Amino acid sequence: MQSRVIAANYDMSDTEVSRAHSPRPRRGPKWGRILLIAAALSFLGIFLALPLLAVFVQALARGVGAYVAAVSDPMAWAAVKLTLRIAATAVPVNLVFGVAAAWAIAKFDFRGKSTLITLIDLPFAVSPVIAGLIFILIFGTHGWFGGYLRAHHIRVVFAVPGIVLATIFVTFPFIARELIPVMQAQGKDDEETALSLGASGWQTFWRVTLPNIRWGLLYGVLLCNARAMGEFGAVSVVSGHIRGLTNTMPLHVEILYNEYNYVGAFAVASLLALLALLTLAGKSFLEWRQPELRHSSRQPPDRTRRERI
Amino acid sequence: MSILLRGIAKQFGEFAAVENINLDVPTGALIALLGPSGCGKTTLLRIIAGLETPDRGQVLFDGKDATSWPIRDRRVGFVFQHYALFRHMTVFENVAFGLKVKPRRERPPAGKIRKKVRSLLELVQLDWAADRYPAQLSGGQKQRVALARALAVDPDVLLLDEPFGALDSQVRHELRRWLRRLHDELHFTSVFVTHDQQEAIEVADTIVVLNRGKIEQCGIPGEIYDLPTSAFVHRFLGQVNELPVRMRQGRAHVGPLDISLNAAAASDGGNSIALIRPHEIEIGPEAAGWSASVLAVRVIGPIVRLELYAEGQSVSEPLEAEISRERYEAERFSVGQKVGLRFRRWQVFPADAALTTPPGAA
Repeated sequence: MQSRVIAANYDMSDTEVSRAHSPRPRRGPKWGRILLIAAALSFLGIFLALPLLAVFVQALARGVGAYVAAVSDPMAWAAVKLTLRIAATAVPVNLVFGVAAAWAIAKFDFRGKSTLITLIDLPFAVSPVIAGLIFILIFGTHGWFGGYLRAHHIRVVFAVPGIVLATIFVTFPFIARELIPVMQAQGKDDEETALSLGASGWQTFWRVTLPNIRWGLLYGVLLCNARAMGEFGAVSVVSGHIRGLTNTMPLHVEILYNEYNYVGAFAVASLLALLALLTLAGKSFLEWRQPELRHSSRQPPDRTRRERI
Repeated sequence: MSILLRGIAKQFGEFAAVENINLDVPTGALIALLGPSGCGKTTLLRIIAGLETPDRGQVLFDGKDATSWPIRDRRVGFVFQHYALFRHMTVFENVAFGLKVKPRRERPPAGKIRKKVRSLLELVQLDWAADRYPAQLSGGQKQRVALARALAVDPDVLLLDEPFGALDSQVRHELRRWLRRLHDELHFTSVFVTHDQQEAIEVADTIVVLNRGKIEQCGIPGEIYDLPTSAFVHRFLGQVNELPVRMRQGRAHVGPLDISLNAAAASDGGNSIALIRPHEIEIGPEAAGWSASVLAVRVIGPIVRLELYAEGQSVSEPLEAEISRERYEAERFSVGQKVGLRFRRWQVFPADAALTTPPGAA
């Protein structure tokens, strides 16, 4: 037995307050820094900047006139429009699904939660080609619903609906995956506070939850959008490659390339790259426009929850 | 508003967070739920708030069964340990939130909201920070914003979950006194959760000590400190020396000291321990008591703490005694000096109770 001293009558220690003193990083030797930076830059150059540059160089290889002609080709235009339409359908669908799934997973405990998390990852694990084949198997002429669909003159496979379905399938983890950790880290305190202050569930979502996750959400949407526009494998299987009808931009690029039309292929590819660059620029612009919001909602929650007295 | 808990029980999987809790919180009371982590105090608070539903039992607000009321209908203000301020809103917008989300019929006009928020910010002495974002405030300031926000909707009950747990001791001390004053001015019913016995004693009218999902003791602070009904409560409220009780010729002894006077529990012949608070050990000349030597002397502001080793004491930890500064100045005990110990007060509990104390309480 021991004499036990339980709590001091005076607050001498305050264990709850952990002040993170981050010591200044020690500077390594100069050549080491130069070497590391050079390695990082050359890696970035070779794997990111160079291919991007090559796309534009190839597209403009025969001059601006050939580029404009290739881009304004009606078939190319049809592919651009189809791609935008598909992204405009798949992204909102996955936005709603992703937010709902992340909300459910982060804020509630229920049976089958881990199964749901695994299912969300499924499209990442399955090869896109197989994803496409699944839809052929289900909706194709000899598929499970093939007879029914044919009888009602509904085309899914080798038509736009099939492409949309395949795109949704392939891109659906992006938003949920981006949001789950953000929402889990933020916990339920904010929502519970809002409810205790008399807010309805809707008000809580729009005024508290959504602003808290907006940067994660935006990032998820951008990734989802990039993939939706760029998806090749799954779309290739279900589209049927009908020019002007079911050819998306990536498919159109491949067709042109196979026809040795390099300028055309790279011109369309450059449009695709341009769309990607535009989305990134849009994100940077939003962040730059609202610095104080970025500041407040980007801080990792454990940082804001620490003391700064 | 009065709160009545009747037979509340809540289980999380296999773990019984609270079991059969009955508690009566009269209108205008300030009650502390005190206990070590995992004792169920936060669960109980969340049940009162409506953030958890009890598996069994009833929550009555002013005599009306509120067990199934959703949180937004309960008129409770809830304050979290980590403030839970809305990070994307300014201090002003945070405080105004509860007023702005009211249905249009009940919502006060914008001018009125502004006036009310201003006056609340003045109340918490943060009117200068109205346009700041929470990230720009210190912890104490954030918690005051959280309080103002909770008060904006005129709650009948204020519930605080370890409200000062994440703060410096200095700020904590200020906020405690401030909360007490606020409570006395505004007369709402408050329940707050803490694991800090000092905080409970300083702030609350009534302390409810919880252990393992059950109420150990409930009473006014002085009574709980002086007359704990169990070894657990004795240990949890302040420091304590624990020494085994030995029976000799039908008399209970700790070392050479006869403690039979207050040792009914020991006379059953079982293993017992005596619990003695540091300030209840009297230090005199060696001949006048249990012979002991001074191991260490530590001056802590107005009091002086001595570590002592009593001759033949059967525990390895030194005993702790506290004397006043004046006494120390007069006697000048020094390390190595031989002294005699006596106990002014003690309490005896069965020894097996020692096992029920969670390690590292408080």
